[in-house]
Amino acid sequence: MAGRWGGIFLVYLSFLCLLLGQETFRTFTTSSGQAFIGRALSYKGQTFYIEGKDKKLYPVPFKQLSSLDQKYLIAIAQGGKIPEGDPRTLKQDSTPPEETAVSDSAVKEEETKAKKPAKPKPSFRSGSFFAYKPINLGQDPSVALAAEKVSVLPGPDEAIDFKQHVLPIMEERCFSCHNAPYDKNGRTIHPKAGLRLDTYEWVMKGNLDNTVVEAGNLADSYLHEVVTLDEEDDMFMPPKGGPLSAEQIDVIKRWIEEGAKESAGGGGEVASSDMSKGISFHDHIFPLMEERCLDCHSEPYVKNGRTIHPKAGLRLDTYDSIIKGNLDGTIIEKGNADESTLYAVITLDSDDPEIMPPKGDPLTEEEISMFKQWIMEGAKENPSDTFEKPNEEVAVSLDTRGEPKEVSMLDQLAKRLKAPSKPQMEAAQKSGALVTLLSTRHSMVRAEFSSGPTLIKDDAIGALSGIKNNVSHLDLSRTSVTDNVLGEVKKFNNLTWLNLKNTSVTDRGIQNLSKMPYLTYLNLVSSKISDESINTLASLKTLEEVYLWNSDVSAQGVNQLRKALPHAKILH
Amino acid sequence: MKTDIKKLDELNRREFIASAAKACLGVGLLPMAGSYIHHSAKALTPGSRPATARYVIYLNMTGAMSHLDTFGTNPDAPEIQGPTKSIQTSADGVILSENLPLTAKHMHNSAIIRTMSTSQGAHEQASYLMHTSYLKRGTIAHPTFGSWVSKLSGGINNTIPSNVQIGSNPAGAGFLESRFGPLPIGNPAAGLANSKLADYIDESRFGGRLAMAQKMNSSYSEKYDQKQVRAYSDLYKDAVKLMRSEDLKAFDITLEPEQMHELYGTTNFGQGCLLARRLIENQVRYVEVSRGGWDTHDNNFESVATNCADMDKALSALLLDLEMRGLLKETMVVLTSEFGRTPKINERDGRDHWPYGFTAFLAGGGIKGGTVYGKMDEVGRNPAEGKFVDPASLNATIAHAMGLPLNDVQYSPSGRPFTVAHDGNPLFDVLA
Repeated sequence: MAGRWGGIFLVYLSFLCLLLGQETFRTFTTSSGQAFIGRALSYKGQTFYIEGKDKKLYPVPFKQLSSLDQKYLIAIAQGGKIPEGDPRTLKQDSTPPEETAVSDSAVKEEETKAKKPAKPKPSFRSGSFFAYKPINLGQDPSVALAAEKVSVLPGPDEAIDFKQHVLPIMEERCFSCHNAPYDKNGRTIHPKAGLRLDTYEWVMKGNLDNTVVEAGNLADSYLHEVVTLDEEDDMFMPPKGGPLSAEQIDVIKRWIEEGAKESAGGGGEVASSDMSKGISFHDHIFPLMEERCLDCHSEPYVKNGRTIHPKAGLRLDTYDSIIKGNLDGTIIEKGNADESTLYAVITLDSDDPEIMPPKGDPLTEEEISMFKQWIMEGAKENPSDTFEKPNEEVAVSLDTRGEPKEVSMLDQLAKRLKAPSKPQMEAAQKSGALVTLLSTRHSMVRAEFSSGPTLIKDDAIGALSGIKNNVSHLDLSRTSVTDNVLGEVKKFNNLTWLNLKNTSVTDRGIQNLSKMPYLTYLNLVSSKISDESINTLASLKTLEEVYLWNSDVSAQGVNQLRKALPHAKILH
Repeated sequence: MKTDIKKLDELNRREFIASAAKACLGVGLLPMAGSYIHHSAKALTPGSRPATARYVIYLNMTGAMSHLDTFGTNPDAPEIQGPTKSIQTSADGVILSENLPLTAKHMHNSAIIRTMSTSQGAHEQASYLMHTSYLKRGTIAHPTFGSWVSKLSGGINNTIPSNVQIGSNPAGAGFLESRFGPLPIGNPAAGLANSKLADYIDESRFGGRLAMAQKMNSSYSEKYDQKQVRAYSDLYKDAVKLMRSEDLKAFDITLEPEQMHELYGTTNFGQGCLLARRLIENQVRYVEVSRGGWDTHDNNFESVATNCADMDKALSALLLDLEMRGLLKETMVVLTSEFGRTPKINERDGRDHWPYGFTAFLAGGGIKGGTVYGKMDEVGRNPAEGKFVDPASLNATIAHAMGLPLNDVQYSPSGRPFTVAHDGNPLFDVLA
């Protein structure tokens, strides 16, 4: 028995020796490729003090080192092999042993922040049984958990931190319904409305309907809207237990206004140190792809005489093929992780049939955040030195096969604009128009009055004025509009496609169109247009298609128009 | 066990009320009112790409059209070609059979796939495969392509269904909700059946009946103001809305001028195409018109010529009419059949079933005009140029142009995954 204790003591002793021993020299590399030989002496915050061969002391920011070095440093710092503090002062104090012990725990605390991207031990998925705090038998859970929570209200000028300030509010008031799916009596209980609010990523992701938080935009943030609704409203949240306190609402409001960041003061959306120097496709993304994706998403190969094609027609084996996506579109929206299918499928619930990779464990949180950051940085092939603004426009080179010319012109118009928000779309449909985005990735919309068009009068177009720059296609055919409507239509600057078939529009109304800059399609079939409109139409040099069948335009007028617009298709 | 059997025949309360209401209130209105009207409101969902074809008219030549005597002539192989001659078309270097002189004028807007192939040689199974992209199985009913369109993309006009079938009806919504299935119209001239008031009931009497039904319902619906209860009365409102709607006129081809009827031809198929154009004008997304009589085991050449006279006239009229109205750019017109007919001419001067190298004609929205994909060899068995294109890939091509998500998985009730075009890949060679 005593021998055993002695053994343990010996191990402990040798550990202590290690603790105070010096680190050996090794080669450090910065992420920009420079290398130097040195040994780590100590660290302070995010700065490591490394002694070079020349005995000089170099304070090196943690972030500038390569990920291998970072892992090494985390390991030795966590192992307590190097002390915390400036080595110059440490040497003078000759570090009494108790202090090492004290700073040791400080090290741990400091490191929990720094190590996040390269966490060595497995983390429990949120929602997992193990992720919950154990409560002792006989203890009241509410009391035990309440003890965990410290007062979380931030000071009036303090920046809002998601984990510290926002998450506790969610935990108290939202988690009972909007949490990770869990099993109850053999049934899986899914979060209500498919919305999870238990981690930063989920809050930012929203649900299938939409996002619930728009960073910096309070008006578009549904989360803020529902907690500030009238208590009688059906959508008021939380539905039980009364409204949030004014302070809590204020915290959410300030958090969104400050940009809905994960950590206060953090520059980007992703608070990590490992990767804040820029993610490299070749160093970070590709190795992971190789390990987890290329089994299925690689170039076609022949197996037992059959050609095995990549699943979903998607190849992930080269940078270009990743950017290109598959037939359903691109899988990466540069600078926008939430719109990127690639990011969406790796962040699905682990029991979702579409989660990627379908086999093996889901990607770890740090792998996911690595993808996220890579996309946010513009999904570049080579690492960037500067962190780009996530919303900055990135030139996307896409294979445009199968897309007509008009679309690429439309795309150019669309790039200048933001897609209308949900409330804007709803408002635009108030007067009976069906308003739809041209595609899910487009900011331009088509507005049409399809159902019961004869009930549509001139005033119906008023509802569209809120999104008038986004309207590229306007279908007024078969409606009861008159010439007056074109006075409004001319304000729709980005209109490329206008259908006035079977309307009572006359030459007087058409005059309004003379200044439309992008009109390519004009349908005047079965309208009251006559030769008087030819001059107006002839001035619209962008026109590619003009339909005049069954109108009052004469053959002579059509010839005149054909001369003026030699490249347009003019049908009469 | 015994109770289970009892349950089988039992009409539940809701079903009982539904059938009683239909029988007593004279609102048997629309054969499948319960499944269509109310839900037609599924909102239009934009795809991940802008659609190049918003509407599709699918002309289905049932009984298997002889491709060699229509869109797939091969003058280099006189032995299999028989007496049918080829003619030049409006597209340089593209030839068609002499049976299609009118369609030839629209070839610059159209494309032909000449290497279609299917794994099925029997009409029903092959037609099923063409429509659903899946093989017919006893264990499951697959949705037709039009049903996928309604399901994945939704309708534009929310008063009328977005999926209409004129003529014979090969399959329905399959495992998808029945509301996505095609609205069947047997006779194009008759329009939508049962959508008008009976002769002996005038407006005021109908109004009176409705008011009475409402009065009888009022105490119940006030007491149980629930979604399901409201949904039921909404169904009636929607049905009445459609009855009185001007959109119902979309189904009424008698409103077309006489010369239009003549342009399309007064045959069932011609009138079906005319109705299809009216429906597209009213923004129905998917219309299929079928034409039978192509199973020419005997006397092939004469029968095909007769059939073509009707088909050529209707098809060219449809293409012309769509173009004049500015609709062709957004409407894809597809004409094909479940398989082709043998290159070898049999002893009865007929052609038998042949699943290799039949043709699909595609025109209008999203199609690269004047293109021909593939060429069959001189015995008509294997492609001399290009590869075989299977039904799933034809459907994938159409789906791609419509902007439908090819990877959107829908699960059958037993949890099996299905997609709109199964394992098909779009044929980009024919897409604009």
